[in-house]
Amino acid sequence: MKNFAYTRPRSLGDATEAAGNDGAQIIAGGTTMVDLMKIGVLAPETLVDITGLGDLEGHAVGTDALQFGALARMSKVADDPAVIEAFPALSEALWKAASPQLRNAATLGGNILQRTRCPYFRDTAYAQCNKRDPGSGCAALDGGKTSHHAILGGSEACVAMYPGDFAQTLVAFDAQVMTRGPGGTRTIPFAELHLLPGDTPHVETVLEPGEIVTAITLPRIPAMANSHYLKARDRESYAFAAASAAVGVEMDGDTVRDVRIGLGGVAATPWRARAAEDALRGGPLNEETAREAGRIAFEEAVPLEGSAYKMPLGADVVAGALLTVKSRIGGE
Amino acid sequence: MAQTINTEVTRVDARRKVTGTASYAADSIPAGMLHGALACTAVAMGRIAGIDTARAEAEPGVVAVFTHETLPDYKTVKGFYAGGPGSASFWPMEGTEIRYAGQPFAYVVAETAAAARRGADLIAVRYEEDAAQIHMDPGESFIIGAGEDSEGMTLTKGDIEAGLGAAAQTVEATYRTPFQHHNPMEMFAATAEWRGEQLTVWMPSQSVRTLRGGIAKAYGLPETSVRVLSPFVGGAFGSKAGVTPYAMLTIAAARAVGAPVRLIVTRPQMYTVATFRPETEQKFRLGADADGKLTAFEHVEIAQTSRFDDVVNPGTHMTRSMYACPNIHTEQRLARSDTNSGGFMRAPNEMQTFFGLESAMDELAWKLGMDPVELRRVNDTNRHPVKDVPFSSRSLMESYDAVSRSFGWADRGREVGSMTDGDWLVGYGCATATYPTNMSPSSARVRMQGSGHAYVELAAHDVGTGSYTIFAQIAAAQLGLPVEAVDVVMGEADLPLAPIAGGSTTAASSGSAVHIACTNIARGVAEKVAAQKDGPLAGLDPAQITLENGVLKGPGGESQSLAEALASTPMGEIEAEGQYRHPALTDKALRMTYHGGYGVAGPVTPEMAMFAFGAQMAEVHVHRYTHEIRVPRLHGAFAAGTWLNRKTAHSQLMGGMVWGLGSALHEITEVDTPRARFLNANIAEYLIPVNADVRELRVEMLEERDDYVNPLGVKGIGELGIVGTAAAVGNAVYHATGKRLTAIPMRISDIVSA
Repeated sequence: MKNFAYTRPRSLGDATEAAGNDGAQIIAGGTTMVDLMKIGVLAPETLVDITGLGDLEGHAVGTDALQFGALARMSKVADDPAVIEAFPALSEALWKAASPQLRNAATLGGNILQRTRCPYFRDTAYAQCNKRDPGSGCAALDGGKTSHHAILGGSEACVAMYPGDFAQTLVAFDAQVMTRGPGGTRTIPFAELHLLPGDTPHVETVLEPGEIVTAITLPRIPAMANSHYLKARDRESYAFAAASAAVGVEMDGDTVRDVRIGLGGVAATPWRARAAEDALRGGPLNEETAREAGRIAFEEAVPLEGSAYKMPLGADVVAGALLTVKSRIGGE
Repeated sequence: MAQTINTEVTRVDARRKVTGTASYAADSIPAGMLHGALACTAVAMGRIAGIDTARAEAEPGVVAVFTHETLPDYKTVKGFYAGGPGSASFWPMEGTEIRYAGQPFAYVVAETAAAARRGADLIAVRYEEDAAQIHMDPGESFIIGAGEDSEGMTLTKGDIEAGLGAAAQTVEATYRTPFQHHNPMEMFAATAEWRGEQLTVWMPSQSVRTLRGGIAKAYGLPETSVRVLSPFVGGAFGSKAGVTPYAMLTIAAARAVGAPVRLIVTRPQMYTVATFRPETEQKFRLGADADGKLTAFEHVEIAQTSRFDDVVNPGTHMTRSMYACPNIHTEQRLARSDTNSGGFMRAPNEMQTFFGLESAMDELAWKLGMDPVELRRVNDTNRHPVKDVPFSSRSLMESYDAVSRSFGWADRGREVGSMTDGDWLVGYGCATATYPTNMSPSSARVRMQGSGHAYVELAAHDVGTGSYTIFAQIAAAQLGLPVEAVDVVMGEADLPLAPIAGGSTTAASSGSAVHIACTNIARGVAEKVAAQKDGPLAGLDPAQITLENGVLKGPGGESQSLAEALASTPMGEIEAEGQYRHPALTDKALRMTYHGGYGVAGPVTPEMAMFAFGAQMAEVHVHRYTHEIRVPRLHGAFAAGTWLNRKTAHSQLMGGMVWGLGSALHEITEVDTPRARFLNANIAEYLIPVNADVRELRVEMLEERDDYVNPLGVKGIGELGIVGTAAAVGNAVYHATGKRLTAIPMRISDIVSA
């Protein structure tokens, strides 16, 4: 690990200023940052530790909205009975991520910005990685092993997968991200926070240098209460998703009034399956329509040799998540 | 005196381990110690074209940077598969040659570990890269050795084609197992301190004598000039058995800088600087008559090996020992690829071969319409199928019957896909476990004091299995002392000979030596007290005095406790050595062990076949939508002669089954084919079972008496629990889904794609 300077600002203004300097990186829980520094993928000159900004730690479940400070710990939010009642999928997504130790340390702001687990990104012995070293190529696409790679949203430059769970609930339920940067504060729709890799996979978000995520908010909608996060993984805990789905449903009698579907383990960014939602809205929800929604969710997928299994798997996970919610609601 | 054998005794080192006072090799910090770090190649094949160490040398704290051109006095040893003590025959940093990815090419010494690592990162290296092939090509396989005897790599008995022709049902199937790495919790480490021509090495090791002998020979030093210390080992599983490049580099670096150096290998480097479990293919052709009796048994194993070693773990020796069959053909084949040499990893051939054999047996049972347990029963045998000698003891079907009862085998649905639980498809599967009883020679020294304390000393190892505890128990039982009154000293090469902690030999072999040493203590005391004027045993013929639970007994019912008798002698203290050698151990094997090798008697001697047996049953759930495979119940029943310590034995078998579960569902070292590099060299992405994966796990330990294997009647159990688990899980997956998965680990992607 390269030597680095460390600063722990006391105010958001100081943090923004420090984080805007060349070679500076923000650190909060450190579960991604320290890891990547140890394996030589990141080598910041200065770490700006924002955990001293106590104002960003809280969260609140209101009648109209859910609000989460960027420094709220994963475990604390996951365990809050008010969160569990208002938005079960969000609690489940946090619970099913990482390990207890990591959830105790990691913050929500850091969680949404976590980096890919693509092995070619994480091992600097591979000369080719457009995300780590722009223009160097992509080892995964150059005959590499692609079974943990994106089948949605990838490009010819990069097929790295967004690994998180929590973000799928945010993207599907219209979350917004509050930030503070050198130019002041702004609100970014969560769906616009992450950038598709395209030709510039090293640019992962719309955040400007020095811009700090301060909070995440979600409008409270009826589909939240009937939501579920289903994660398929090769071991029962502490494993990234082979495929996952965050879904929520609002029924009007036997008709779907509102439905939300976020996909994990399959895409380059947090992914919302809008076409699948549209197909369900206004119709019945049953095994047949759930499976059709799953199929539609992956219509535009571009499977690679190693990741072809994610298409049928992802479709089944979407169907399974929808039917679980349906059975919780009751009815037919 | 309370009985100590075959009871539950808590580890004598438990408190020290959980309070952090057990001192592992890397915890020893000699004065003035510096820190080492390895720099390893990115490419898998080619040559070092140039190394620029200037930036590394300029880094604050860096003391020296060594390359193949600048490291003086770097010595190497012959590889294990070439008859030496080394982990591989090819040694890095002897020249510019690169033979595998992650090969060390420079060694940095610095004042802190962090500076050493930074220095290693700052070395600029240029490669001339050649193409490399990391997977074996089974089509390019070959047989090493030849001949028809049990040592040979091929065997033919009867006529396999005739046996297949006569069969009512046949199975022809190929199963595959992946590269795996041991991943002990304790990192690889070596600390070397030279004082003139005296060298001390602290290193977690499964064989301190192998290490000492190899180092001494390499440096031309008498063995008395080399101390090797490995007091506790935080898991090894075969990865800490040999003399490795990282050890020899550290020894050379310490000599070069004139100060002690400690190297702790990083987790990613642990995947390349030592050994691993090679990938294999298991090809079976089985035939059976309508009653299930085998008419043909063919097994061809193809295992990956390096270009410079013939790494052979002969799995077909195990499978052909299993079931009665008149027509047997086996071949042990290797196929080369561009990796470091593999080696042994817990149940080094049994895990792979029994995944294959026991899956094939299950396929056969389904074809025959037979209960798979009954298929094993009709093919059970009390004589070795090839050597035609009796098994010294064989409780295979007793194990099946016991596990069937505890598991509820009879309650299973008889058809594929006939059981469900909500969205889960449910299946039951079973498989056989076996492990050879390998008997190594061993010595032990026991010193007893009349005050009631004893010391047991031997160059054996506790790799986490509980050896400290069982040796104390064995001595306590014989000497009539409480277990706490026995101190066991191990993990030093200067102590009496003990074998490599491998092949599940330690408890049975070194335990027997401790037993014999205690018998010799009793004889010595008996001679002394018989010669004395006073005392209950005075004047008796010492040959007629026997030892029973710490009490010396004369022929006429005279008796005296050993401690009392000893206290009455002039010295009040006695020391004795015990040497254990199985009668069937050849002189060659004896010599091999004394020279640091792995010399054993068995598992098949001219008179007997010595194996431990067990049976495993798994309940598997496969989810309708997520296609996840989970194992809510795993039961095993095992018989392995005398249970020395029911608590640590239970832990060994349970830990083995958890490891077996990992082999079934989780463990694989993933590979980047074009660049011939391992991909998931960390324990986040190299999956092993977590607590949540292990639900109901039940171990049943059956009573078994075996007077042939050794004086204690003990069979090794360190590896038995792993064998068969993967097949039991795979067979249950088939029962649940109708999908026959022929490769491990069995993953979501395999269920979806099958």
